[in-house]
Amino acid sequence: MTTIQLPRSRRVHAASVVLGFAMLLAAAAALLPIAIIAFTAFKPIAEVNAYPPTLLPGQWTLENFTRIFEELPFARLILNSVVFAGGVTLFALVFDSLAAYALARIDFRGSRVLLIAIIASLMIPFQALLIPVYQLVADLGWVNTFAGLIAPRAADAFGIFFLRQFFLSLPRDLDNAARIDGASEFRIFRSVILPNAVPALLTLGIFTFVNNWNDLLWPLVFTTDAEMGTITSGLTLLTGPGGIIPQGVMMAGSLIAVLPLAVMFLMIQRRFIESVATTGMK
Amino acid sequence: MSTTLPKPAARYRPPAPLGGRDAVPRRSRGNPLALLFLAPALVVLGAFVAWPMLSAFRLSFTDSSGFGRESWVGLDNYARVFTDPTVLRALGNTALYAVLFTPTAVIVALVLALALNHPRLPLRGVFRTALFLPFVVSLAVAAFAWSYLLDPQIGLLNYWLRGIGIQLGNVLQDPTLAMPTVALVAVWKTFGFYMVIFLAGLQEIPASLREAAVVDGANAWQRLVHITLPMLSNTFAFVLIVALIAALQAFDQIYVMTGGGPFGSTQTIVMEIYESGFKELELGFASAVSYVLLAITLVLSLVQFIFFGRRERDAQ
Amino acid sequence: MRKTATAALAVMAAGALALTGCSPAQTESEGPTTVTFWHGYTEADGDVLEQIVDDFNASQDEVVVETEVKTWDVIDDTLLPALSAEEGPEIVAMPAERMPVYADKGAFVDLSEFYADDENAAAVLPAAADMVTADGAQFGVPTGFVPLSVFYNRALFEAAGITTFPTTWDEWVDVATKLTVDENGDGTPEQYGLALPDHATVANGLWPSLFYGGGGDIVADGEAVIDSPENVDTLEYWSNAVATNKISPTGLDGIGADELFSSGKAAMHVGGPWMASISDANDIDYGIAAIPAGPEEQAASAIGVGMGVTAQADDAQIDGAEAFFSYFLSQDVATEWSLGSGWPPLRGDIPASAVESNPVVASLTEIAGTARPLLPGVTGSVDVLSAVDTATQKALAGGDPAALLSDAQAEIEAALAD
Repeated sequence: MTTIQLPRSRRVHAASVVLGFAMLLAAAAALLPIAIIAFTAFKPIAEVNAYPPTLLPGQWTLENFTRIFEELPFARLILNSVVFAGGVTLFALVFDSLAAYALARIDFRGSRVLLIAIIASLMIPFQALLIPVYQLVADLGWVNTFAGLIAPRAADAFGIFFLRQFFLSLPRDLDNAARIDGASEFRIFRSVILPNAVPALLTLGIFTFVNNWNDLLWPLVFTTDAEMGTITSGLTLLTGPGGIIPQGVMMAGSLIAVLPLAVMFLMIQRRFIESVATTGMK
Repeated sequence: MSTTLPKPAARYRPPAPLGGRDAVPRRSRGNPLALLFLAPALVVLGAFVAWPMLSAFRLSFTDSSGFGRESWVGLDNYARVFTDPTVLRALGNTALYAVLFTPTAVIVALVLALALNHPRLPLRGVFRTALFLPFVVSLAVAAFAWSYLLDPQIGLLNYWLRGIGIQLGNVLQDPTLAMPTVALVAVWKTFGFYMVIFLAGLQEIPASLREAAVVDGANAWQRLVHITLPMLSNTFAFVLIVALIAALQAFDQIYVMTGGGPFGSTQTIVMEIYESGFKELELGFASAVSYVLLAITLVLSLVQFIFFGRRERDAQ
Repeated sequence: MRKTATAALAVMAAGALALTGCSPAQTESEGPTTVTFWHGYTEADGDVLEQIVDDFNASQDEVVVETEVKTWDVIDDTLLPALSAEEGPEIVAMPAERMPVYADKGAFVDLSEFYADDENAAAVLPAAADMVTADGAQFGVPTGFVPLSVFYNRALFEAAGITTFPTTWDEWVDVATKLTVDENGDGTPEQYGLALPDHATVANGLWPSLFYGGGGDIVADGEAVIDSPENVDTLEYWSNAVATNKISPTGLDGIGADELFSSGKAAMHVGGPWMASISDANDIDYGIAAIPAGPEEQAASAIGVGMGVTAQADDAQIDGAEAFFSYFLSQDVATEWSLGSGWPPLRGDIPASAVESNPVVASLTEIAGTARPLLPGVTGSVDVLSAVDTATQKALAGGDPAALLSDAQAEIEAALAD
């Protein structure tokens, strides 16, 4: 018995070790640039461009962080970022999932054309649309307001396309059962599709939140008032004399800016996979 | 035993990427109901996407600089797109970038998603988070971190590689290496997101299918090729199209890392659009280039849809 | 789940309302004219500028100038959308070489009458005024004009036993060679004598400066002249110096050169006044000197910043902006601005003794006469400079200077024709 089981368990063990080791390498490669950002944030300015370069600071300092808090209205910027990125994410999730449901589950004339039009709108670079969008927002009197920041992104073609693909993949048996029971389309959407689409909604939510949180040009263009800036746009103000970026300070700022996102993903990722596992695939 | 393995297609048929009509009768086919669901999104997209797209289309026939006077120039801008050597070079560069970026990003994401999904993987949550982190960092900062690592004089990566006898040189200033480098940075930055989409797709595959295959004696490779990958084709098609669109719009990390250089070797089409529009104030011309890009992307996407649509039908 | 989403939405909406509660004050009503001013002075210079603006606002009750501080890059990225929607500033400052592009599209108000009537405007250094002039009409007022200068590391000079700063190109290369150290003999020096960027140089000015020194130019009287024999000699001279004596790494850009100098890996660097504070921050004991004279001339390309009045300003705002410009250029304020910004005075009639309390300004003021504006009035400057960059970068990578400059000539001719 042991002679049969030993090789098998050893093989399993080996697979686990090889896989773990390979993933360790992949994770290290993924994390190196992030590590350099993190450690540079703790380096004194003279060490940032020192030669030979080192990963870890020779002397740890918090001066970069204190300078940031001195120079930027940090609390306000973070609050603006939360309202902007959070607002866009919430609206987009609601509006996108409604539209995606119609495209995935309701038969109507022109649905295919509409879908193609929505996907095609992703193919024009946003640089080309920025000025017409801004003119419209200005006509509405929304410059320097959250309405102006959020409304143009309250629905998004990518999200509709993404959710539509996901909804299509959900087994029809799920909603057909409810349909036979006489449930309304909205009830099916709310009680059958959405609960089963939590992983897709979370994926899209993270994507939307991260992209808007990190967006630079959008808040810079739509808010001329420094009070309305986001954390990402605020960091540009750290540019030093001659347009030279004080790297340590910038890295410290970036670290603070990215921390909420990392924590958010860390908290969500478990739930994200668990909820997927419970998706009703009966 | 094989009788317990249901025909996957009958039980769980992944729809074609764009089609996906099936035989299930739909109770409601009325436009009003669909419109109710679509209305909020259509209002937003109509005002802030469709209308600006029309504005940009109109601008593409003018010599507008975005403000002040403008006049109608007919098709001049479009004629210039196809004769201007810098635009043609940018189109070529964009094609090269797309070829470097798209398959690499999709394959890296897929392989890592499969590894993360492997039942024997220890520390799953840690790896998942670590691999996703690059996506969370803003691209400008990521580009900055990479430039700093790759700096020929004071870059840590260069220093380490020199230590083991590899002279990397100034990759960002090398006309042949700059493009692969910026594509690599984009892969590093975005694979985490595609990976998560693949993970979501993998979770959709019913566990019963895999269990049945195990009972049937299929080994891991057979399960991958005959169950996992076919079931993932829908997700794959989606990721591929999204990655292609992203590749054809490459901008951020190039803007920060090389500014299009050296010698224009990383000047992509969106870099060109940005420079003509925002730096040279030729918004009309930039709009025309944008519409040419839209047309090219649309054609490539349709080819892809047709390819996947056919494969889907062949598989059934 | 839906309940929480709705609740969260409500909270968001309430938050958004609360935050937008402070709507901008009405500016159309009676009272002083409000003029919005965007600028990118973010350091100590920004504080001085804010003070000057406050003093101006207090000095009269017709005009109120309100500043919005952004970085220069941000101004360049956001000005176009702002102008397109008439949401922009009435006064905007930007790097001087960017101004002709906007002026050509009609973004700036013509200030030639202001220059003709105002005595403070008339006192501006002619070279600095050239920088904001196209087709004989001024579209702006300079806020900064300074020649590129050489920053050198005194400690490294001392270690190499060099006591005087070179004054000719040959001496300069000689000193740079002495300061280049390749300890392990692997062909890659650990310390370079000079950080000589070959593209995207500081204010795009290094190569123009060297071309002037050799007796050449890039664009003269609206014609491309980059393929002159003088320029071929200059480019050959410097690419030889780099190739044979390894005095500088190749493929370097202006920011890389700044970093090389501030990390102590380069003994000399051609840069702007801000290198003084960066050197201080990196504990580098620096000296400032003029770019050594070339065989034909001693000249340096200027780093320039200017401000203009945008076309969205109404008549009252134009008057207000001109009043501010006049105040800004008055003798006392110009002196205050020079000392505060660390840049030499913009007027020719301010003696060096007036600014000697700031040694950096004093050193720069001494060499201010060598400064030449970069591509004044050339609207296609982006393409012109990129053609120059291509030629210099390829030359330093081993290309043939004559052939490269003739390519650049063709590109610049095309850019000027547009």
